[in-house]
Amino acid sequence: MIYYLVIFAAGFAGSFHCIGMCGGFACALGRDQRGASATLVRHLLYNTGRLTTYCFLGGLAGAVGQVICTTQGLTAAPLLNGSLDIAQRILAIVAGLLMIAMALQFFGLLQVFHRLAIGFGGSTFALSLRGLLTARSSAAPLAFGVFNGFLPCPLVYAFAAQAASTAGALPGFLVMAWFGLGTFPAMLMMGGLGRILGPAGRRRGVRLAGGFILLLGLITLGRGLLPSHAHIGLAWLGGHST
Amino acid sequence: MTAHDHILCSHCSLPVGVRPMERRLDGEACAFCCYGCCIAFQVKSGRHEEWEAAWLLIQLGVGGFLSMNIMMFSLLLYSDAFTGVDAGVLPWVHFLLWIFATPAVVILGGPYLREMWLNGIQGRVTSSALIVLGVAAAYLYSAFAVFEGSTHVYFDTAVMVLMLFTVGRYLEAVGRARAARDLEPLLAAESESATVVDGAAEIRGPVREVSAGMLVRVRPGERIPVDGVVVEGESNTDEAVITGESRQVTKGAGSKVIAGSINIDGPLLIQSSADGTATRWARICRSVREALGRRSPTQRLADRVVGVSVPLVLALGGLTIVYWAQSLPFDRALLIGLSVLVVACPCAVGLAAPMATSLGIGRLARHGCLVRDPGVLETLARVRLLAFDKTGTLTAGKARLVGVYGEEVGFDQVLARAAGLERLSEHGLAQAITAAAAQRDITPLVTSDVRTVPGRGIRGSAEGRPVAAGNGRLMNDLGWPLPPSLAERARSLEASGHSVVYVGWGERVHAVLSLDDSPLPEAQAAIAALRKRGLDATLLTGDLGQAAERIAALVGIKDVQAGLSPEAKRLALDRLRHGHVSVAMVGDGLNDGPVLAAADIGIAVGSATDLARETAGLVLPADGFWMLPWIVDVARAVRRTILANLMWAFGYNLVALTFAAFGLLQPILAAAVMAGSSILVVVNSLRLERLPDPVPALMPAQRSDINVERTHNVSGISAMAGPAVGHDLATRGPLDP
Repeated sequence: MIYYLVIFAAGFAGSFHCIGMCGGFACALGRDQRGASATLVRHLLYNTGRLTTYCFLGGLAGAVGQVICTTQGLTAAPLLNGSLDIAQRILAIVAGLLMIAMALQFFGLLQVFHRLAIGFGGSTFALSLRGLLTARSSAAPLAFGVFNGFLPCPLVYAFAAQAASTAGALPGFLVMAWFGLGTFPAMLMMGGLGRILGPAGRRRGVRLAGGFILLLGLITLGRGLLPSHAHIGLAWLGGHST
Repeated sequence: MTAHDHILCSHCSLPVGVRPMERRLDGEACAFCCYGCCIAFQVKSGRHEEWEAAWLLIQLGVGGFLSMNIMMFSLLLYSDAFTGVDAGVLPWVHFLLWIFATPAVVILGGPYLREMWLNGIQGRVTSSALIVLGVAAAYLYSAFAVFEGSTHVYFDTAVMVLMLFTVGRYLEAVGRARAARDLEPLLAAESESATVVDGAAEIRGPVREVSAGMLVRVRPGERIPVDGVVVEGESNTDEAVITGESRQVTKGAGSKVIAGSINIDGPLLIQSSADGTATRWARICRSVREALGRRSPTQRLADRVVGVSVPLVLALGGLTIVYWAQSLPFDRALLIGLSVLVVACPCAVGLAAPMATSLGIGRLARHGCLVRDPGVLETLARVRLLAFDKTGTLTAGKARLVGVYGEEVGFDQVLARAAGLERLSEHGLAQAITAAAAQRDITPLVTSDVRTVPGRGIRGSAEGRPVAAGNGRLMNDLGWPLPPSLAERARSLEASGHSVVYVGWGERVHAVLSLDDSPLPEAQAAIAALRKRGLDATLLTGDLGQAAERIAALVGIKDVQAGLSPEAKRLALDRLRHGHVSVAMVGDGLNDGPVLAAADIGIAVGSATDLARETAGLVLPADGFWMLPWIVDVARAVRRTILANLMWAFGYNLVALTFAAFGLLQPILAAAVMAGSSILVVVNSLRLERLPDPVPALMPAQRSDINVERTHNVSGISAMAGPAVGHDLATRGPLDP
């Protein structure tokens, strides 16, 4: 459980990063004239769309990881299984390195990689979707959230890598679900929180998110590199089945 | 030909075909060649205040939401996440999936169903029918299974196949739009708007409403919408699209501007000199539109194959199901059949040729070369022999003074007298002489009593003595003697195809001027480059043998046929065609229209004729001769790309089809593979974007420096060469006065 709480916390801290781009969208989504509850529904729909995409990506990444590690008895997460085969180790190493690379961006390092991740046609896509926000259909926020989830974002990539390293559809799904839920509070309270925190606070939040991702990345990398019996500290992190 | 043939897709500028998707967006009627372009266009440029544009995206978003949920639950089902739970939950999960899947199938499958229906009522079966049938089978089977309480449902397959195809079509359309990027400035002529200044008011309206004499304001960065003259303002313009010249041209008040060029850095007020629809730009636009609307032979073949293959695949899918149903449960057999239907969708085959062709046409258009038929590029790639016309093609088409041969007189003396006479004449040779004198700063001698003698030349008097310039008969009539050395020289000049003008004063002939049409400086390099590409060159001309031989030798052509009438040229082309599979004729488009039309490809260089009456399939800009080798390169690259695309599309389909028929390919995977094959064709075609630009070996601007042949110093006769050298030689020459 603690494992998922860490991810939730990482998502929460990381959502201060989201405020930059997705937060703008959330603000633009604005108020519904029909009152506060309608506004809440709008934002909930948007976030549900986003969460669905994240969960889908997580489940898919996990399933891909599962296909890569076609060993027997993978029904439960292999985190605690002790015996890790070579494919799982490689997967863990790759995912761990990816996460560390993503984390470094949050500290302002490896900017080339960042541009590579962001510049993947994302900005034009985002711009053209902006128009959806003003559409009067009540399904528009949902659709927008779904597309929003696919926008290139290093946070999402990092957690998708984490999801893949779990080598299971269910744990992968759960990783992204908890991450997505972590971003909920900030995105829901959008305008208010962003203003209170100010740029300095936001930067601190982004650093914190980077720290979480770095930690998770190092642990994942360690799972790939260290011998099985040396998995100190994994018991509490990987304990979703305990 | 139907009315739809010349309509191009609003998104990717490829022809829309017989069944376009038509919509009104932003108040304009748009037609799309496919569903993918429709999505991509609205993602890119649809204004979302408009209900229809937003509605499509909302549909896709909601469809994505539903299908991702279905996929997620199915993934969890497959990974046995529900094993621990009570098995009684399973039917409810299936029921939930059905609830999600029904709207998703309707939303995502709607456009395909519509496409199938519209084609179906006209008796055509297209690839969308394959998708619709496959998906419908998977969905209906699963829906029955839900209510029967069966253990297996395939909603995920149905929905994901639709989703993958939709995403694939979207990505494909994005790639295709990139292919049309080079064509945009050319196709813009019809949709461009212009700011008309009417007194104090400035009205923005479509360019077709601009007529001659109107004032048009063009801001920096805008395209100049009309031909005209600058009334006010100064700026640099880029005319590459129209003239092929990539230099910036500075314009000020009084300069002429061409429609289609880009106004780079200053506001201009332009007085239109013609109607907005009568510009060369607008004509080019219509011509390109027509070219894109036609189908090359390869494309027609591919389309026929697609038309035939769809019913075949349907039959194959049916047979697959029947075959596997004997050994496997029905649902497994159904899935295998579905894989076959999905994987055999021949979308990539239909895309193989038009995209590469439009990229090639766009690429050439950016340098001012117009392709009037998409088949031209493929034919040009196969051509092994190029036949050239001489005058105006290999040569500048204008007489130039190439030599002055005098008897005991100075170079300046001769030219001053000749120019004094000839500046009053309109004759082509006269203009060349006057121009040569002006170029060398020689003041023409003041001449009175000037009289032209038709068919002979011109005479008058200067410095109190009679002067004359003309042919031998004029000198004969005047009874002026011709020194033997000059007579000898004149004979040999005439024999080598030069035109000769005698200049005399004081009762005798003093000098011979030789004039000739000299070859373009870039011609030799271009022909050498063509030869390096394995192309033979031959010269077909109506001129006399010697002149033709001399020019041919200068540019490096060995095979010459001279003295041909236009009809004889056509016969000569036919004879040449026996030895070589196809022959291209390069001419100036003015005199040799019929010959250009008779060749496999007519290439017109620097054509001044109206494009509508142009018979050539490929029109090069003026001074565009040097680009020929590059054009051949582009044509060959286009053909290679088309062949690679076709091989890829067919090969891929066949291999995937085999795998699918043997039950080795999951339907979802099959859909991904299929979408991937279209995208691969697009990506492979986009490689054409990376072709190098033409490298001018010799820029036309350098021509005047090189274009003068060195002449020879015969028996104490002064000679002249290029502008600088000639003058120098003359002043230091042995016969300087």
